Amino acid sequence: MLSGLPCSVDCHRVRRFIRRLSLVLAVIALLGAMTRCVPHPVGTTRTYASYKGKATTTAEGAVSAARTVLLMTHTAAKRNAFSSYTAMVIADAEDGISGLIGTFDSVQPPNAEADRLHERLDTLLSSALTNVQALRVAARRGVVAELAGRAGPLRSDVHKLQAFVDAHQ
Amino acid sequence: MKKILSITLGILTAIGGFVDIGDLVANAATGARFKMALAGVVLIGVLGIIVYAEMSGRVAAITGRPVFDLVRERLGPNAGGANLIASFIINLLTLCAELGGVALALSMIASVNYILLIPVAAFLVWIVIWKMPFERMEEMFGLLGLMLITFLVALFHLHPPWHELLHSASHPAIPKNETPFTFAYYAIALFGAAMTPYEVFFFSSGAVEEKWTVDDLNLNRANVYIGFPLGGLLSLSIMALTTVVFAPRMISVDTLPQVALPVALSVGKVGLGLLIIGIFAATFGAALETAMSSGYCVAQYFGWQWGKFVKPREAARFHVVMLAAIVATTLFALTGVDPVKVTEYSIVLSAAALPLTYFPILLISNDRHYMGDHVNGRVLNFLASIYMVIIAVVAVVTIPLMIITKAGA
Repeated sequence: MLSGLPCSVDCHRVRRFIRRLSLVLAVIALLGAMTRCVPHPVGTTRTYASYKGKATTTAEGAVSAARTVLLMTHTAAKRNAFSSYTAMVIADAEDGISGLIGTFDSVQPPNAEADRLHERLDTLLSSALTNVQALRVAARRGVVAELAGRAGPLRSDVHKLQAFVDAHQ
Repeated sequence: MKKILSITLGILTAIGGFVDIGDLVANAATGARFKMALAGVVLIGVLGIIVYAEMSGRVAAITGRPVFDLVRERLGPNAGGANLIASFIINLLTLCAELGGVALALSMIASVNYILLIPVAAFLVWIVIWKMPFERMEEMFGLLGLMLITFLVALFHLHPPWHELLHSASHPAIPKNETPFTFAYYAIALFGAAMTPYEVFFFSSGAVEEKWTVDDLNLNRANVYIGFPLGGLLSLSIMALTTVVFAPRMISVDTLPQVALPVALSVGKVGLGLLIIGIFAATFGAALETAMSSGYCVAQYFGWQWGKFVKPREAARFHVVMLAAIVATTLFALTGVDPVKVTEYSIVLSAAALPLTYFPILLISNDRHYMGDHVNGRVLNFLASIYMVIIAVVAVVTIPLMIITKAGA
């Protein structure tokens, strides 16, 4: 509207401001769009494909935390670590899985298919969390040498979670 | 022995700068996610900090004044003020993270939640700054920080596939499950960690504390050429260890205790114990550096008496700023904020603010009014100019990359 009229100094300032504002908004919109390029468990989702992506990222995080615990139990079984350190590593992994469950549960499943996926992953994550908790309790009670023997159920959880990742990638 | 101890300023600065809590986690996370593909960035960072730390040490030795003092005089109060605000905020964030790191290191042995140990860590930092002479402080924490060599020992003990590590480093490739944005974000994090501004503030102020003169230029070079490459070597050994132990198991690194796991696996309890001492010393050293850098930059900007070479009562405002920084960051850390996240943000934000620190150093070290015949040579200026371009690019892309990758998710 302003372009066809003779322009005062104020008018030029307004145009310059609008141009700059447009540029800033365009950059923000571009950055916002580009965030879609990076998979992440947090954020809204409207399609099953997007929800599946978040489920896979969550499962990968849980596999990483559970494998850390398995490696820790293996190290502790060789009497290569202090019990306080062992308990700390396992507790951190437990916090990690717990956080992943909370984050994933906060994402709204977009349809019934996503509901089923949510239920399946939630069962796997809950089982992993329970088994990591049991190992943390044992580590804090100082029975670190026996941890590897008690890690069987968690090993099974890792296999199932990895199978979930492979199936949905 | 005296000559060996005289390079502890460089060792403390480098260990604090290269292997503090942020670097420990960033290097370990990078190795686990990208293997050795970003090793080249560490080398570029090491060369960059060598170039600019040598300049800042030389400026301090020739002029008898630290970098921040000259930045304000050369660039004026506005540019100096912008530098002060950016540096001070980054210092505070880093100090908060380092206090958390010290508490985490203590809790690895003490079996006490690290939050409860944060006030203990803060008190220890303050009492060391208040009571311990500067030289004793740098010798103690610089030498204890050398325990981090356990990372290197553990790596050799694992008999890693050296040719694969070398191939991964020399043929950098983005893993299939990663994006170029995440790759670039981690590259910037490593570069920012290597060139953290507080390193040059602490190093140049330390040189003044130690009363360096023109006769100490070789000492400056020895500190820089030995200390910083050592820090870089430790960074690379952490990256290589997690490449060997975590990457094949697809384990990502999110916490500080996780970083020590490959060492425990490789060399057992003794190695783990030595490493925890090293982590304690490195994070404690970095906490000292950042707390003191906060005091240095404020006092030097406003022209107050500063330094540990005078009694605390003669540099009261300098000590008050440090104490206030320690108290404020302790309160922030006690909110339960994740120290690793805080340090990741501080590294990336410092990458965005790098030109504010390094451009003035380049200007001053070329100014004959200050430097006389000791201005930069052509080769050094060529190298420094290349780094200035890199620093400018890094500063521009850092924040957008942080948004796009959701801070490296």
